[in-house]
Amino acid sequence: MRISIEHQLSVTPPAGTAHAVLQLMLTPISGPSQTVESWSVEMPGIGNAARFADAYGNSVHLVNQARPEGTLLVTVRGAVTTTDRHGVLGRVGGEPVAALYKRVTALTRAPVTLYGKFRSSKDNRIDVLHALMARVGETLRAVEATGQTQSQMSADGSQSQSQGSAPADAARPAASASDLAHAFIGSCRALDIPARYVTGYLAPGGADDEDGLSGFHAWAEAYDDRLGWIGFDPTLQLCPTDRHVRLAAGLDGLSATPLRIVPAGDGVAIQEANVSIV
Amino acid sequence: MTMLGRTAQNLFWLSRYVERAENMARLLEVGYRMSLTSRREGGASEHLVSMMQAAEVDEAFASKDRVADVDTVANFMMFDPDNYSSVYSCLLAARTNARSVRTAITSDMWESINSAWLEFSQIKPRDVRGAKLLGLLEWVKDIGHQFRGALLGTILRDDGFAFLQAGNFIERADNTARILDMKYYVLLPRAKMVGGDLDIQQWTLILRAASAHRSYRHVYHDRYKAHNIADFLMLRPEMPRSLIFCAKYIEDNLATLSQFYGQKQSCDEAASQLRSMVDGTDMDTIFSYGLHEFLTEFIARNNRVSDTLSESYNFY
Amino acid sequence: MAENLPFDEMYNPDGSVREPYRALAQWLEEQPDKALTLMQSDAEAIFRKLGITFAVYGSEEGTEKVIPFDVIPRIIAAQEWRRLSKGIEQRVKALNAFLYDIYHRQEILKAGRIPEKLILQNEAFCPEMMGLEPARGIYAHIIGVDIVRVGPDEFYVLEDNLRTPSGVSYMLEDREAMMILAPDLFQRQKVAPVENYPENLRRTLESVAPANASASPNIVVLTPGIYNSAYFEHSFLADQMGATLCEGPDLFVDGGKVYMRTTTGPERVDVIYRRIDDDYLDPLTFNPGSMLGVPGLFDAYRAGNVTLVNAPGTGIADDKAVYTYVPEIIEFYLGEKALLQNVPTYNCTDEEQRNWVLANIGDLVVKEVHGSGGYGMMVGPTSTKAMHAEFRKKIEARPDNYIVQPTLALSTCPTYINAGITPRHVDLRPYVLIGDEVRITPGGLTRVALKKGSLVVNSSQGGGTKDTWVLED
Repeated sequence: MRISIEHQLSVTPPAGTAHAVLQLMLTPISGPSQTVESWSVEMPGIGNAARFADAYGNSVHLVNQARPEGTLLVTVRGAVTTTDRHGVLGRVGGEPVAALYKRVTALTRAPVTLYGKFRSSKDNRIDVLHALMARVGETLRAVEATGQTQSQMSADGSQSQSQGSAPADAARPAASASDLAHAFIGSCRALDIPARYVTGYLAPGGADDEDGLSGFHAWAEAYDDRLGWIGFDPTLQLCPTDRHVRLAAGLDGLSATPLRIVPAGDGVAIQEANVSIV
Repeated sequence: MTMLGRTAQNLFWLSRYVERAENMARLLEVGYRMSLTSRREGGASEHLVSMMQAAEVDEAFASKDRVADVDTVANFMMFDPDNYSSVYSCLLAARTNARSVRTAITSDMWESINSAWLEFSQIKPRDVRGAKLLGLLEWVKDIGHQFRGALLGTILRDDGFAFLQAGNFIERADNTARILDMKYYVLLPRAKMVGGDLDIQQWTLILRAASAHRSYRHVYHDRYKAHNIADFLMLRPEMPRSLIFCAKYIEDNLATLSQFYGQKQSCDEAASQLRSMVDGTDMDTIFSYGLHEFLTEFIARNNRVSDTLSESYNFY
Repeated sequence: MAENLPFDEMYNPDGSVREPYRALAQWLEEQPDKALTLMQSDAEAIFRKLGITFAVYGSEEGTEKVIPFDVIPRIIAAQEWRRLSKGIEQRVKALNAFLYDIYHRQEILKAGRIPEKLILQNEAFCPEMMGLEPARGIYAHIIGVDIVRVGPDEFYVLEDNLRTPSGVSYMLEDREAMMILAPDLFQRQKVAPVENYPENLRRTLESVAPANASASPNIVVLTPGIYNSAYFEHSFLADQMGATLCEGPDLFVDGGKVYMRTTTGPERVDVIYRRIDDDYLDPLTFNPGSMLGVPGLFDAYRAGNVTLVNAPGTGIADDKAVYTYVPEIIEFYLGEKALLQNVPTYNCTDEEQRNWVLANIGDLVVKEVHGSGGYGMMVGPTSTKAMHAEFRKKIEARPDNYIVQPTLALSTCPTYINAGITPRHVDLRPYVLIGDEVRITPGGLTRVALKKGSLVVNSSQGGGTKDTWVLED
């Protein structure tokens, strides 16, 4: 499926900033599930940016802005052709060893109530992962229904953003796609299964876009020794399909943050990501 | 080796603060002497306050809500960390700057400022009164002499030297201009040719504050006269605290810098504008321009030299 | 390991003088009364004049002390040193190979030679370093190995310091002072020079410049600033190497390259000998609150445009819990047996070992896994019952936070104290440079516990230093 993406982000450095430095993790890489047809990242100073691959294999821009004035606008445009592989990415060269993704971070501490019952499971890993995805979905949605928020899980670094939004009643605080992914990843790691955080874009689900989730999104990938990396989207309760465009991966939402800036000022406001099927 | 902009900045301010500490001691000495000899009711306080005005710390003192007497003012000028120009603050700032550029100055320079600070920080303000105060003020002046001696005797004559000297003389020019401005009205030409007792007292104060009360005689072979005093402190090139001496010295040092780096900078122009104010003029011309207006303009141009210098050489 | 008397570096148990100390003993005998007292006070004046100070944490701002210097040198024989330096070289090569591996394929973990959890869940492990290719594959370019001696042929490695080991300026200044104080003593025997350390440091740093650096790479020392306890050393080393001493705000990143702000504009920087902790290096990648670091620095490093010395994440190799595996590490990467021994270490997470430790705490040394500088540690035999009880509680509460070792009878060396010569415990920190070749400065820094019977040599805990001589054949 060919997907067209337009994503705008904005950030406002504090007034009087002499020198702002930005890190953009906004460039997808072609892989088993997708081919990047065209891609551009535009913002002031991007012409002089340094590009490199980070520890997780992501393509990163480092951009400087001398004496930025007002709000900096980042515009990402591109087209990606995707294939539905039922989430299976396999092993990709140039990536760090999978075991790295067993490292527990502040954002990926899952409560034992989530994964405890799988600890002694004799099922194969794929079945466990599916069951775990269901459990994470049920549990976090249940919490949501009783009106409790997952504050510990979403409490994170000052610059992480709420990424994507679950289809929830606007009046009630919802577990975000990011919260669900973190809970899933934390549970995997507690079960000694490598798991990583993935950012990306979600295309509308058919003509009527019934889940209303299209846009910037976050999900997880877990590792199986036989199949390699497999995607799990606890928000949609399925393995990624050709609706999913992979952008970046990391240990957690913080290490895959699409835009960081120093000095931070008012932080980053993510604006609309328009994702459409061409 | 190339020099960091911050290093140049630290050198510049190191010298400025050493000079300022010395000037503060000198001003305080004058204020103290005047307060002892003042015959009028409330005169002591008045002198001390006008001295603090010259040092531009009168508002900071006022905010302390204390009566200005010899002890409170001496304590404020010497030891008060809230007073950014107190001897304490100046020596601490000088030492902090020196420590940051420890490798850009000689060990003699470092030792002179380091031991001065270590000794000064041991002094208990309570113990410093009366004759002891005067002794301490002498010692503070000696700190400046020792530091400059170490500097002149040991440091390479490269860009670092020029930044140090520029700081020293920009601070000194500022100080001399302020002392004059504080009492400019007693220097204005009047119908009466001979000054009264009060005038003489004020003139002595001005000369003392610039350590010029003895050398005046060498130059003028005359009794104190307002016109001469103003001339001495403003236009005499042999007087090392005069405006013209400082302005020329500043211009020369900035020229050394632009030669060293092979490029003229905006601060060279600013220094030339400063020097041109006091070069090839005389007191009559200045009096007709207005002494206070002239000094105000001089101080502004001097500040501009400092500002453009920091822009030209990437201080931050 | 409880013995009657600790090994003395100078005297055999029968009172005769050990071979390397012959000339010194002779010299000491020839000195008139008061000569040493005079030397000691001269030494103090020299150090004060040189401005060698260290700041004491927790004391008032601006409090700086001169580290005590003892005028009697510590002497190591040529063949003793050969043995030691071979062992050190083996160790630092293996540790660098280990770092390369755990930041790449992690073969040692796959082989099960070190528990995976110990590395992957370790705070000192730096995931941002994964896959990065440092120049020449070297992570730790400057290492200070803490070694103690307990017998004529018995040396133990106490700790490998791979982060930003300090103290090398004391080694250099101690020698400088000693040559002023007792030049005649140097004429009686050949002492290996240490003075070329700054030059070797410079060569090491130049040899690891990034591929796209200019022919004569621009080297800077990055310091947290004048309030850091080791600021003197930072400025000293910069001065001795002819490098610029920078603070974070002096540097900036543009187009993925690092520049310093000079009086004539930006100038490219190729190698940064940084004395700032990993966490504070780059607020964009690490601690966002850091005011000391340079935003974008890590990315510039990652992009291959600058070399950081030492690399971030080297702390995983000197982690106290990883320490116990160093013999394993040497075998795994070099296929050799470790030449230098580790101090036996008890693992408190193992219940049996923990119970034994708790019962015998009075004889043991307890160290916090992430502590350093003698803080957060307890030496059983010289601590009170209350301290024992306190550390028992601590270990029970967080067994993984402590390692426990037997109390070693550190060797003693004659030391001049209160107008007399008396034995005091010493350790040794040789300094190793790893670049185009491995350069070990002969000797290193000898730290001496000035308090009678004390085994804690850290300067923050009342320790002093001695000049350290390696004799040449």
